[in-house]
Amino acid sequence: MKFFLTTLALVCISITYSQKIELGKVTLEELNEKNHVSDTSAVAAYLFKKGEVKFNYSQSEGFIISTNVKLKIKIYKKEGYDWANFSVPFSTGQYGQTVDVKNAATYNIVAGKIEKTKLKSDGEFEEKVNKYWSRKKITMPNVKEGSIIELEYEIKDKGIGSIDEWYFQSSIPINYCEYSTYIPEYFEYNTYWKGFLAPTVTKEVLNESIISTYKDRNYVTPTQFSNEKTEYRVNKTKYVLKDVSSIKDESFVNNIRNYTSSISQELSLLRYPNSPVKTFSTDWETIVKNIYEYDDFGPELNKSGYYDNDLNVLLKDITAQPEKAAIIFNYVKSRMNWNGMNGYGCENGVRKAYLEKTGNVADINLMLVSMLRYAGIEANPILVSTRNNGISLFPSSSAFNYVIAGIELDNQVVMLDATDKNALPNILPIRDLNWFGRIVRKNGSSAEINLMPASNSKENINMLATISDSGEVSGKIRDQYFDYNAFIFRDNYGSLSKESMTEKIEKNHKEIEVSEYDYQNLKDLSKPIIESYAFNSNNEVEIIGDKMYFSPFLFLSMDENPFKQETREYPVDFIFPHQDKYMISVTIPDGYNFETLPQSKAIKFPDNSMQFSYLISTSGKTVQLIYSLEVNQSIVSPENYAALKELFKEIVNKHTEKIVLKKA
Amino acid sequence: MKKLIYLLFFFTGCIYSQKIEYSTLLISDSLKTNANAVVRFKQVDITIPAQDKMTIKTFSAITVLNELGLDDLDLAESFDKNRTINSIEATVYDSSGKELKKFKRKDFRDVSVADGFSVFSDNRMLFLDYTPITYPFTMVFESEITTSNTAFIPSWSPIENYLVSTEKSALTIDCNPELKLKYKELNFSGFLIEKIESENKISYSANKLKAIKRQELTPSAYKVFPVVMFSLEKFELENVKGNAISWKDFGKWYYSSLLSDTEEIPEETIQKIKSLIGNEKDKLKIAQIIYKYVQEKTRYVSVQVGIGGWKPMLAKDVDKFGYGDCKALTNYTRSLLKSVGVESYYTVVFAGKNKKDLQEDLSSIQGNHVILSLPIQDNLIWLECTSQIQPFGFQGDFTDDRKVLIVKPDGGEIVNTKVFTEKDNLEKITASYTLDSNGKIIGNVISKFYGLQYDDEFHMERESRENQLKSLKSDYSNINNLKINNISFSNDKDKIEFIEKFDVEAENYGQVSNGKIMFPLNAFDQYNYVPKKYKTREFPFEIERGYTYESETEITLPDGYSIEAKPNSTEINNEFGNYKIEFLQTSSSKLICKRKFVLFKGFYEKEKYETFRKFLETIAKTDNSKAIIYKV
Repeated sequence: MKFFLTTLALVCISITYSQKIELGKVTLEELNEKNHVSDTSAVAAYLFKKGEVKFNYSQSEGFIISTNVKLKIKIYKKEGYDWANFSVPFSTGQYGQTVDVKNAATYNIVAGKIEKTKLKSDGEFEEKVNKYWSRKKITMPNVKEGSIIELEYEIKDKGIGSIDEWYFQSSIPINYCEYSTYIPEYFEYNTYWKGFLAPTVTKEVLNESIISTYKDRNYVTPTQFSNEKTEYRVNKTKYVLKDVSSIKDESFVNNIRNYTSSISQELSLLRYPNSPVKTFSTDWETIVKNIYEYDDFGPELNKSGYYDNDLNVLLKDITAQPEKAAIIFNYVKSRMNWNGMNGYGCENGVRKAYLEKTGNVADINLMLVSMLRYAGIEANPILVSTRNNGISLFPSSSAFNYVIAGIELDNQVVMLDATDKNALPNILPIRDLNWFGRIVRKNGSSAEINLMPASNSKENINMLATISDSGEVSGKIRDQYFDYNAFIFRDNYGSLSKESMTEKIEKNHKEIEVSEYDYQNLKDLSKPIIESYAFNSNNEVEIIGDKMYFSPFLFLSMDENPFKQETREYPVDFIFPHQDKYMISVTIPDGYNFETLPQSKAIKFPDNSMQFSYLISTSGKTVQLIYSLEVNQSIVSPENYAALKELFKEIVNKHTEKIVLKKA
Repeated sequence: MKKLIYLLFFFTGCIYSQKIEYSTLLISDSLKTNANAVVRFKQVDITIPAQDKMTIKTFSAITVLNELGLDDLDLAESFDKNRTINSIEATVYDSSGKELKKFKRKDFRDVSVADGFSVFSDNRMLFLDYTPITYPFTMVFESEITTSNTAFIPSWSPIENYLVSTEKSALTIDCNPELKLKYKELNFSGFLIEKIESENKISYSANKLKAIKRQELTPSAYKVFPVVMFSLEKFELENVKGNAISWKDFGKWYYSSLLSDTEEIPEETIQKIKSLIGNEKDKLKIAQIIYKYVQEKTRYVSVQVGIGGWKPMLAKDVDKFGYGDCKALTNYTRSLLKSVGVESYYTVVFAGKNKKDLQEDLSSIQGNHVILSLPIQDNLIWLECTSQIQPFGFQGDFTDDRKVLIVKPDGGEIVNTKVFTEKDNLEKITASYTLDSNGKIIGNVISKFYGLQYDDEFHMERESRENQLKSLKSDYSNINNLKINNISFSNDKDKIEFIEKFDVEAENYGQVSNGKIMFPLNAFDQYNYVPKKYKTREFPFEIERGYTYESETEITLPDGYSIEAKPNSTEINNEFGNYKIEFLQTSSSKLICKRKFVLFKGFYEKEKYETFRKFLETIAKTDNSKAIIYKV
């Protein structure tokens, strides 16, 4: 966890920069630069990226957050031309935003001189994406290799609850990144950091004033205007990072945004003159309370009456609580259909959702909590941030985007998510498996809940095969999938026919023919999936001279190391811990004897987080292999990457190592 | 005819909450086989009373059998200023035919069609985002739209997609005879299709079409499934009237309405171009200079607004902004060439890795991309103007070998673009490696790419080192624990030759056991595509392009080792291609592996599929055959 939370000891140093970081100061030297100094493969780079957040007061609208962004981008390569196209999304609802673009220009060298081409209105479009969102699209003119692009835009936002996240890192290098907030004394924001980088922070207090004009009308004298000047302090905080290298996505990464350096701010306190101090989401207790009071959460959770009759019938004569819980969970899963939308607030409202049998996550899972409570079960909602949404690092109402149900029993929490028909208690859809959630209890208290699966999901493979004297292999496989393995099987293949499954296996393992394909328990979630088929292959045994060579894994062998990178910056994410176990038995043809057998082997990480074992033996004409691979942790830290890669190298070796038979 | 009218009435005329005809029990088993969705009934009625007016009425009832069939519902209509949605609604029924819910126009979402960044368009659509509450269900969708664009008439494809069966699908066009409706029927053989034609009316219908499963190497749908394409001799496009009696007339119209008034180039730019050209008189050389100028000056951005979706941006605007879409950049290049007296033609094409011809005998607006053709003596040179890195005159597999329309001021003409033969598309590898007694190899590889293999590879030099490594490691995924060092590239844009050089190192390439090492001799030129085996092959198959792969690898054995067994040399020659691999021992510690594989382009009947599959299977197996060496 420590690689996420760089809780910063903010060092306040006052620094003055020799170079002016401003628009309109393009130099020949910058234009002539052919490659980025420290990253020659960079297609483009931010020479600077500068943001200023100010609170502007107007009498009619109060304080409005205005974010001014100034960008100066150098294009090094043609592949970087996309950096000359901008798309700025903004919301258009009640607390809508506006976007203004200014000072946009492209700079080039023409005949040894700097040529500036301004963006005209032809290059600017506004596109209505849907009811809630629009996009400002900007296409810069005259962009070539070597061009420098400058752009300034201002987003005005009437909502002051949070300040948009600011990224200090990008997929191209950033030479200088500065972010300043000017926050009037009336507001306090909590500041949260993500990523590995630590900026320099400077703080300063400024004075500002507002002049308000009032109309005095007393129906006796003509209307009078009076001015009133209010002085207040503004806390300026400036964050600076220099020479920020690009961030690159890697395979087996949960969500690259979790590692991208950024800052987010959430309103924690309102201190208007002559008004009582109002606190906001400063800690989980407050957040939870706020969420609870939110119209689409608490009140929806407390609604009842819409399902009573149906539940009474279902729960008639049932007394045991676990049984009741199971019936309710299955009922909600089968009745309700997720519309694909996230959120911890209801979209349709539970009542309408129940009636129409469809709704968003909150509609479905808050309904589930409510029904469980109705049946006398101690159930509560658990707030979750999905994998796509990133990890919730700090107390904030925007940290979550999802909600599931939890039943607390004997210090254990059973988690339920009814949005997926194949989900089971504590088998949640993969999108939910994102570190910690937060349970919100009836009494207003809350607690952190580990969402990550604790136990290994198993897969047991049994293979019986026979090799003919012509080297043809035929045999049978029985593959059992448990827990998450079964869940994924059902989600991915649940609607495929047996014929399609046969083809899928034939496609995945080239040059085998599959017959008698069958699976069991596709709909009976309480049991593991049992898949079975017969196979036939001409391609698994090599005959060279009077010898036969084959790997006992036959076509099931792992031939490639999935870890190809030399080094690793981010943790490897296996999603859930698992154990694969193979029991293989191969009978060799008459007239052949075993000449060499691979050696048995077992490797274990010191902390037991990873281990594999390969045990091979013969008896008569049969060779037996018992193999298992255990990944006991969902996440492997980058420090252990080299060991992990080495382990998989060993595994691939063992998978591909051949048994040698010799003609008698 | 009577039956059709009756059916229409039956389906649209009465509204009850229970529609027994939508019960899924009525679907015959043969239509359920392999189907994720079943088109129960689809009727499209198109009326074209005038050159600037077309009304399209759609009624469709589709049963979705499972969640994979959800994508086969098309619950959307697009609109813009020349296209109005008069009505749109949908009703969903459960498997017994009981009505579950009705959706009115307000339930449809209004969204922008453009999605990615650089595509700007003012097209919008209304669509219904439906979450099924039960399977199977039947969705009835009805819409009516009116448009003044008569240049595009929906084509009729009774087989809508793979894994979708059709109970009945019909289309009727009622057209003002003065506008002269033309049509082109494709791939009707083997399908029962009913057609009724009168002076101003044409209709098609098909019944009981089974769901089709996709098989590997099946040619594109338009080459095997029935489809009828329509167009008008007199049409309107974004308020511009046009005619398409023949390609010649159509081309003339195209040039005069969409191109002729876009050619102006600012005097300053003409002077710049002239000074770049200097005294050069050779047309080809002048074109090279201008092509280079355009590549350096412009970038590709897609902006499609109104007629802009069809008419190129003015050449002077491209000159000013330095960007444009394919039409704009092609037309800009053409205008620059014209300004210095070199003729070239705006050329309309269906672009894509899968080849697609313009339908030769249906002159009409077709295609999805524009390139430039340059007549040099009796040849045409093809220029892709949207790429800033493509070599001059090298079009690659995006637009190769297909029928395209060249637009000349005096008319249009259908021609075929360049064919890259199997001889052109060559990859040639020269490599060597040394094996040590632990099974580790150390070696180096030089690969040369020509023709379309050049096209696939030359972008490599512009990639980041990480991506280069990733790509090479995936090209040589047959070698585990692969480390690649000292990568270098050379790109000869005149010869169209791309060379990659790099060193390799891989532990455990050879498997050591009991003092013996087993390893595949052919390390760097393995072919591993073997198409799937089918119990019944349903369709012909196509190899769209031919290729040649040649390699020579020198192998040095560890000291003190001798060969116990090595694979036999193999040669196969048949109608699909030629394959030859030789394993020669040149000294006690050296071997040479020589390989040549030529795959021909071809369109083959389904009966030959299994032979072809076996051919590739044998190659894959032989390529990976192993030698065994032992310690003396």
